[in-house]
Amino acid sequence: MKKTPGLLPLTPPVFHILLALADEERHGYGIMQDVARQTNDALQLGPGTLYGCLKRMLAAGLVEESDEREHDREQDDERRRYYRMTPLGRSTVRAEAGRLAGAVSAAKAKLGLAGGK
Amino acid sequence: MKDPKLVRGLGRLYAALLYAYPREFRLQYGTEMQQLFRDRCREIARDGRAGPWLRFGLGSIADWIASALRERRPFKLIQEWAVTLLLFLFVTTTMVQAYVVPTGSMENNILVGDHLLVDKVGFENGGNNWSSYVLPHRQVKRGDIVAFRYPEDVRQTFVKRVIGVAGDHIHLKDKQVIRNGDKLDEPYARHSGQSIDDYRDNFPTAADFYTLGGGRDMFAHNVHDGEVIVPPGTLFVLGDNRDNSLDSRYWGFVPINYVVGKPLVIYWSYDAPTSDLVTWNLAHLEDVALHFFTRTRWNRMLKVPAQ
Repeated sequence: MKKTPGLLPLTPPVFHILLALADEERHGYGIMQDVARQTNDALQLGPGTLYGCLKRMLAAGLVEESDEREHDREQDDERRRYYRMTPLGRSTVRAEAGRLAGAVSAAKAKLGLAGGK
Repeated sequence: MKDPKLVRGLGRLYAALLYAYPREFRLQYGTEMQQLFRDRCREIARDGRAGPWLRFGLGSIADWIASALRERRPFKLIQEWAVTLLLFLFVTTTMVQAYVVPTGSMENNILVGDHLLVDKVGFENGGNNWSSYVLPHRQVKRGDIVAFRYPEDVRQTFVKRVIGVAGDHIHLKDKQVIRNGDKLDEPYARHSGQSIDDYRDNFPTAADFYTLGGGRDMFAHNVHDGEVIVPPGTLFVLGDNRDNSLDSRYWGFVPINYVVGKPLVIYWSYDAPTSDLVTWNLAHLEDVALHFFTRTRWNRMLKVPAQ
């Protein structure tokens, strides 16, 4: 696995945006909806936060722009830009997930929480 | 399918809010951000309850502020505003300045609570006047309304009318101003009653209890044969509200280099008591916030004080 030292830890929005793009390409609204689903509505990304993150993620090479196309659902008069995850993005989000898993198991051990098994 | 009015309105509002972001960012992502915002609005409009709207509204404002600040690094912010700030400083220090009128001495021409812009370059000797080399200007003349530093306390700025310039002989007879032997026709002057106060209305008599430092000097050195003679380099000023004005009759002459400028335009007029206008206080701020629309005298906005 590629080392991505400068990028970890990821901020929660960046982490969840990468997760949202793990299975498919999405446009901005799609990312926002998926992030809300992942977090049970705890993280509701606003446009400024979302596109600010995307801008920096594009610059870091974690995601890339896919093509522009018509959105397939109802009401879609507009063309939208889709984003997809790069291999670097995939390895970064994996590394971050591993880091978080490590942190969680350390916490469980310290706090004596059952459930790790 | 057409969006409900609310959604379209919010969309327009959001489009305006995008100007808080740097131009580059706006051009790159503005359209998408608007799409996203609209999608969210539609989603919530379908839901139809008030709670989600509230949460969405607060969330959007927080997102807007936080991300706009993040995209605009402070340094960039300073860069972008530097020119504006410099211009602003330049203009307010040398060209125009804002003053508030705390007393009624110029009523009904200028009221208590009028906020004035003062033209600082129109007069010769108006303040620190290097600009007179470049811009048109003239000497202060009789009848001008001037803003000037109050000689008894230079921290205060007064607004009065010039009645006499250097060399003029002035006295008052039963409220009538007589300058160099001529009765002045003063349509702007206002009197509050018929009663005659000798000091005030038959000036100059003799210094009395009300006479301030500069006024005592004036009585000592500049009164001859029942007339005040305006010394070189000074002005004799009176308020239009003639019977209620603390003016040259009480504190003497205005050195011409104390003149700040000429009241240009009333940019805001707010009905407030003198004390609140002199010393700024929290209660006044609250008062303005609560009564801005009702106690602003809209008809006085952008009025030019009659000369």
